[in-house]
Amino acid sequence: MLGVALMGFAGFAGLCLAMEKHFNDLIGRKPTGRQLRALKVAGWALLLLSLILAVHGRGWALGLVEWIAVLMAGVTLWVFGLPYQPRLLLGAALASLVLGPLLAVLAV
Amino acid sequence: MKSKAAGLPLGYRLAVTSRSLAALLGGYLLASMASVCITLLAPMTQADATMTGMMLSFVFYLIAFIWCFACRSAWRAWLGVLLPSLVLGLINALAYWMNLP
Amino acid sequence: MKEGFRQAMAWLHTWTGLIFGWLLFAIFLTGTLSYFKEEISHWTQPEVQRHPLDPVSSLGLAQRYLETNAGHAGTWFIRLPSERQVALSVSWRDPNGGGRRGFTDKDLDARTGEAVEARDSRGGEFFYRFHFQLQMPHPWGRWLSTFCAFIMLLGLVTGIITHKKIFKEFFTFRPGKGQRSWLDGHNAIGVLVLPFHLMISYSSLVIFMYMVMPASILASYGDSGGYFNDVFGRDEVPEAVAQAAPLAPLSELYAKVQEQAPGARMGYIQVHNPGDRNARVTFTRASADSVAYQRSAIWTFDGVSGELLRRGAPESAAMTTSFTFVGLHMGNFAGPWLRWLYFVFGVAGTAVIGTGLVMWLGKRQLKHAKSARMPGELRLVEVLNIASMSGLLLGVAAFFWANRLLPATLEGRADWEINGFFLAWGASLLHAMLRSGRRAWGEQLTLGALAFALLPLLNALTTANGLDHSIAAGDWAMAGFDLTALATGLFLAWAAGKMLRAPKPAAKRAPRAAKTVEAS
Repeated sequence: MLGVALMGFAGFAGLCLAMEKHFNDLIGRKPTGRQLRALKVAGWALLLLSLILAVHGRGWALGLVEWIAVLMAGVTLWVFGLPYQPRLLLGAALASLVLGPLLAVLAV
Repeated sequence: MKSKAAGLPLGYRLAVTSRSLAALLGGYLLASMASVCITLLAPMTQADATMTGMMLSFVFYLIAFIWCFACRSAWRAWLGVLLPSLVLGLINALAYWMNLP
Repeated sequence: MKEGFRQAMAWLHTWTGLIFGWLLFAIFLTGTLSYFKEEISHWTQPEVQRHPLDPVSSLGLAQRYLETNAGHAGTWFIRLPSERQVALSVSWRDPNGGGRRGFTDKDLDARTGEAVEARDSRGGEFFYRFHFQLQMPHPWGRWLSTFCAFIMLLGLVTGIITHKKIFKEFFTFRPGKGQRSWLDGHNAIGVLVLPFHLMISYSSLVIFMYMVMPASILASYGDSGGYFNDVFGRDEVPEAVAQAAPLAPLSELYAKVQEQAPGARMGYIQVHNPGDRNARVTFTRASADSVAYQRSAIWTFDGVSGELLRRGAPESAAMTTSFTFVGLHMGNFAGPWLRWLYFVFGVAGTAVIGTGLVMWLGKRQLKHAKSARMPGELRLVEVLNIASMSGLLLGVAAFFWANRLLPATLEGRADWEINGFFLAWGASLLHAMLRSGRRAWGEQLTLGALAFALLPLLNALTTANGLDHSIAAGDWAMAGFDLTALATGLFLAWAAGKMLRAPKPAAKRAPRAAKTVEAS
């Protein structure tokens, strides 16, 4: 589940950055339309992929429950941590982007 | 809403009370009628239909509650819960009567 | 109500939130604690030793104990130790025993099979029962708590409707901005954890739907007996025939269950008419083994011949649906990390309510900031806010302090622990009435911080299960309790600091909502 959680975390981070205001605040420059769209697609793709992996690993019942749980936990950490440690969280999101799929694939 | 409680007109207070009663009591009636309707009409086993009716009833209670405070007057609130309750009640009575051996 | 849909819903959200918020806070807090009720019970009864799990051996010990001490009882219950429940519990129907509801309960040591003399305490079960019975006579507490659950659901839905920028501000949290921050925090923990909040509220309704929405049962069955028979199956236990026959070894029957369901954990075992020719033994699978209750996971044996007589009927889709709601609410299926998440989300739900109550008052206090005295209604809200939040926490702490300080031999000490809870809570209400709002908050939060932070020390001084021992022994339930108490103390200390230091309530108060989730 850890891989799924990290992918979900990265996915939400992507969706957050796909919003102009947040991108501006966190990255420090104005995003292009293409960047925002790419982040949106990547974000949703990560979330979808994490769902597929969760269900594949734990079945529909437990998979769905655990998926929703880890996603809620991850996005809550992101939102409440962001005002205090934006760079740390951005780093964590990048790390999750790499580690998440890696762990998830290894667990399969 | 401004809470100048002392300064609120009586008409307003009565309206709120009326809506609240419509929501609490009328809403419960509507939810119960909807529950029974689903139970008597659903093409399921007796136990399943009963469970399904009960589980879905709360959605009706919720909608009734929201209606009672969203509609334009306290009268409409009552109408909005009592009229459907009546209709469902009639359907229920018919279904019950038809199910009797 | 002429203003428009959204405003009407905001009005409804605000007022139902206020009126039921105090009670809902208590329900949510005690419910959240209930996710660790076995661990809490372990802390409150440290005399019961944890041993490596051995169901077969435990069953044998239980059977031996019951045959010796409850040979004439008509019904036995056995609950095996699990990853979370330390004790091997047995109980039997004994009208002369003086136990609750005619049952005598005993905790046995899982290694020796001897009864453990543990201090009498309700432990985690107190918070669990309180959260849906509210210490009220049956069935009023259940009605009230279920109605509160409906109001919570209403609050969530009206909140969603009212929150115009729910998507735009999905990731928004701006601390250090007074009322704005409180609202951001309230919205964030509401929205980000929304699936949990909706599930918890709706499932509460499903749990007691047979009681609060009986119309369907009455219309379809006429009375609840038929309904429960259809759903759960009648307990067709034959009468004893007064012919002695030795009870088959329960461990053999357990092995037969394992053949049918390898690896299944047992929830509890019931023996009817033990020692009689018409003995029946029923094994019920542990609720931890699946999300939804499975009535098919019940095996009934002839108690003498050991023959499998009956297995529960498979569940229908509707049953699986409703049992899934219940199962999700209870969270019995959750392993350690998921259980912690349940706890955190429960705290989040509690914080949604708490921040709402604080904001309700804060917003209106701003309007009266210039005047010397607060209007009566606002003062009432302020007192109730303090008593229902910091006061409740003091009550919880008092329960644990009483558990460690009351002598083990005190008659009715379990009830006295509970009295301690209510006395502390009541005292906090009085205190809140006598002190100004800011000071009452600060003083109660400070006391709460001390009360929780010192619990591990109190534990170490009064038992042999202090942190140094529990961590070394790998007793993570015990250690976890102490550490959580410590963390709670630290959080309350931080909150107290905010209250006692800042001069202006509106501007300086950083949202506790954020730390509430993180501290857990």
